[in-house]
Amino acid sequence: MLEEKLSLEGKTIVITGGGTGLGREMTLAMASAGADLVIASRRIGPIDEVAQAARDMGRRAITVSTDVTDTSQVAALMERALDEYGKVDVLLNNAGIVRGKGAEAIWDISDEDWRIGIDTNMSSAFFCSRAIAKHMVERGQGKIINVSSGFGYRGGRDNYMYAVGKGGIVQLTRTLATSLSRHGITSTCIVPGFLPTTGTDESNITLPRGDFIPIGRVGRPSELGAVAVFLASPGSDYMNGEAFAIDGGGLAGGVAPTGYAPEIPLEI
Amino acid sequence: MAIPQEWDLTGKTAIITADRRGWTPHLASALAEAGADVAVAGSENSDMTDAVSAVKKLGRKSVAITTNVRDAESVNSMVSTAVLELGKLDILVNNARAEFGKRFEKVEECEWDTLMDFNVKSMFLCCQAVGNVMLEQKSGRIVNIGSALSVRGLWNSVAACAAQGAIHQLTSSLALEWGREGIRVNSIGAGWITPEKQTEESQKELLVRYIPSRRKGHPNDLASLLVYLASDACDFVTGQTIFIDGGVLAHA
Repeated sequence: MLEEKLSLEGKTIVITGGGTGLGREMTLAMASAGADLVIASRRIGPIDEVAQAARDMGRRAITVSTDVTDTSQVAALMERALDEYGKVDVLLNNAGIVRGKGAEAIWDISDEDWRIGIDTNMSSAFFCSRAIAKHMVERGQGKIINVSSGFGYRGGRDNYMYAVGKGGIVQLTRTLATSLSRHGITSTCIVPGFLPTTGTDESNITLPRGDFIPIGRVGRPSELGAVAVFLASPGSDYMNGEAFAIDGGGLAGGVAPTGYAPEIPLEI
Repeated sequence: MAIPQEWDLTGKTAIITADRRGWTPHLASALAEAGADVAVAGSENSDMTDAVSAVKKLGRKSVAITTNVRDAESVNSMVSTAVLELGKLDILVNNARAEFGKRFEKVEECEWDTLMDFNVKSMFLCCQAVGNVMLEQKSGRIVNIGSALSVRGLWNSVAACAAQGAIHQLTSSLALEWGREGIRVNSIGAGWITPEKQTEESQKELLVRYIPSRRKGHPNDLASLLVYLASDACDFVTGQTIFIDGGVLAHA
């Protein structure tokens, strides 16, 4: 029973940003759970490599070079997916950038920086969801999984486009759930804490290190795999409009040294 | 296909608290299906016996331990019995909860106390007693079965909601304190869930209006998440209340 609930056998999954970082790990985990894949990313090299790894596991996998901030490319991506498989069961909106040009004071952020940041981190998920929603509605089923961040719930210093965009992702998730549930479509959201990948190397300096994370270590990208499989699988069918944080306890407390609070005797 | 290996609970032992709501057999079965042996603790009035038979039917070891979860001594002896019977304790599922609905001005002191004791103090006692075993072995998983009422109010439910709010914060704070001892503490925020057989009729208009997923949930809807939170796979997840509520909280 548990196996059936977690199986992705026969499911077609579109994942954006599936070539590197956390997207790569989630893609490989879903492939090993049985999913057939459409992997999109601007750069084709890394996604081709991941697709080959999925094929080596006996799955079907195609790659589509896509800029998810360009709605005509997003439309082409979904068309390609439907041409190849005839259906899409799950959309995993993973594409995003940790930060475009690095942390910047608000007065140094240009109109263009803002638009690119918000487009990449937030609008892209809206564009992809919009492009596949009708198809899912026609089939009366589908799952849309978004990727937010701890910064979607907490402010990020000088990190406007990322924190604002990721906060928007949480609301996109709720609004999709509220609007599309009646057609059998659910929407959920993964909230990763700090799981360093090659993509975040440069920004490690300002992100919390292991010692500031309640469990005392940063996350391993592979740990995200099980969460992605769960949210894509029938095991999460009654989870809707909700978020799943994997952050070593970050959101449960705050970024503060563990153990920093006094013992106080009880007196009334 | 194989489930992700790190979800496997083979060789692990769990204890789950039982109550009168009928969820325990389903939740205990989920753990057993994933490979765990499961002790079930509760009163004579609870669904404990059903849960034990469900686990045994799946070929896992199970034992019923009559326990008053509101009483420290009883909970301590529950833990000793479970360790004696199963050898160790890797997983604690705080499932026991009483339902209570009454207009606030009519709630009596003894009702308030009983509800808080059964729903909240029981978690304190079980976490502490089982936690002592987990702290020693430097590993453990605690899953508190909570509710969407931890973050939303409801008519006739001041006491029930206050209790759920407490469970929510017990989960986050305890996760921090034991985060470096290999223990993970999480909660499942359940929506409108019932083990009763659901008919067309029971899913009608009222539900459709309030639950985006247009149906009441079943305890089995929590099964996969429960197994994940009980497994090694959830090592980077702690202090979280993860809601499975058919979209109720996303809704206005």
